[in-house]
Amino acid sequence: MQHNFILGKWNVWPSLTSDATSQAELLSSIPKMLKRRLSPLARIVFCAAIPCLEEHSKIPAVFSSTHGELAKSFKMMEVIEAGEEISPTAFSLSVHNAIAGLFSMAYENKIQSTVIAPGEEGIAAAFIEAMGLLDEGEKQVLIVLYDEPLVDFYPDKPYQLTVNESCAVALTVSKKGAGIPMCFSYQNNTGDDGEQPVQLPLLVDFLASQQDSLLLHTPRHSWCWEKQQV
Amino acid sequence: MSNMENELKQLIIDCLDLEDLSIEDINSEEALFNEGLGLDSIDALELGLAIRKKYDVRIDQDKDDVVNIFASVASLAQFIESEQMRKV
Repeated sequence: MQHNFILGKWNVWPSLTSDATSQAELLSSIPKMLKRRLSPLARIVFCAAIPCLEEHSKIPAVFSSTHGELAKSFKMMEVIEAGEEISPTAFSLSVHNAIAGLFSMAYENKIQSTVIAPGEEGIAAAFIEAMGLLDEGEKQVLIVLYDEPLVDFYPDKPYQLTVNESCAVALTVSKKGAGIPMCFSYQNNTGDDGEQPVQLPLLVDFLASQQDSLLLHTPRHSWCWEKQQV
Repeated sequence: MSNMENELKQLIIDCLDLEDLSIEDINSEEALFNEGLGLDSIDALELGLAIRKKYDVRIDQDKDDVVNIFASVASLAQFIESEQMRKV
C-alpha cells in the first residue's frame, strides 16, 4: 500500500518558536460561552489547528488521540467512588469526540469529522483515514493528533504510550496544490516505536527538519512517511 | 433583591465557569437561557445538580414546569423558597 499526497500547512503546539502568537490571541475569536468549556488539552488542539485553517473554510477533519480526555474520566470515576453525583458538564466534555465537537462549534465547521483512538497503529491510523477521504474525492483534509500525559494511576510499563509533555500537531493533506509532496506507505518490518504520544515528537522532528523519511514500527508491521524529491 | 437571588447568582457563576462575571452583571429578571445570559442545556443540568446539592431541592422534569422555573434567577429563587417552605 502506498499513497502520495501533498502536505499543505502544519503546526505544533506548544510552539517550537518563542515568537509564536500567544494562546490567548489564537483563542480570542472564540465566543466566551464556548471558551469556558475548553480544557487545557482542547486549548492546545485549537492552537495547533487554527493556523492550519483558511478563513471561513469548511474542511473535513480527522482527530486522533490515544488517551483523549482520560484525566477527566478518571476524576469522574473518583467522584462516583466517593458516592457523589458527577457533573453533567464534565461528562459531556470527557467523551472522545468532545474536542472535535467544540472545534466544530467554534468554527462552524459542520462537515464530517472523525475521531480515532489509534492504539498500536499510532499516528498512522489518522493518515489512513485521511487518505481514504481524499480517495473519496475530498480536496483537503485536516488531521489533528493530540495527547496529554497519562494519569499516574495507570501503568505505563511495559507499554510505550505516554510522555511527560502534552502535544498537538495539526496538518492539512491534499492530492493537489501547494505544499510538500509526500508518500505514505505500509511496510512489512516489525518493531515497537510506541503509541501516538511517543510518536508525536518524532513526527515533529521529521516535519521540522531536513530528515527525508520517518519509519514507525508496530509489533505487526510499520508505516513510512517520505518527503519526495521535487 | 432577596438573599436567595444573590446566592443563586453566585452559584451560577461558580458552577458554570463564568468567573469573569460578578453577581451585579446578572439581572434577576433576565432570561438565563439563549438570548439572555446565554446558558445552554448542559448548564441547565449542571445548575439543577448544584441546586440539589446546595438546597436539597429537586427539580423534576416530569412533574415540575422546568421551562418556567429556569426562566430567570427570580423564578428559580421563588421555586426553591416555596419548596423549602413546603418541607418545613
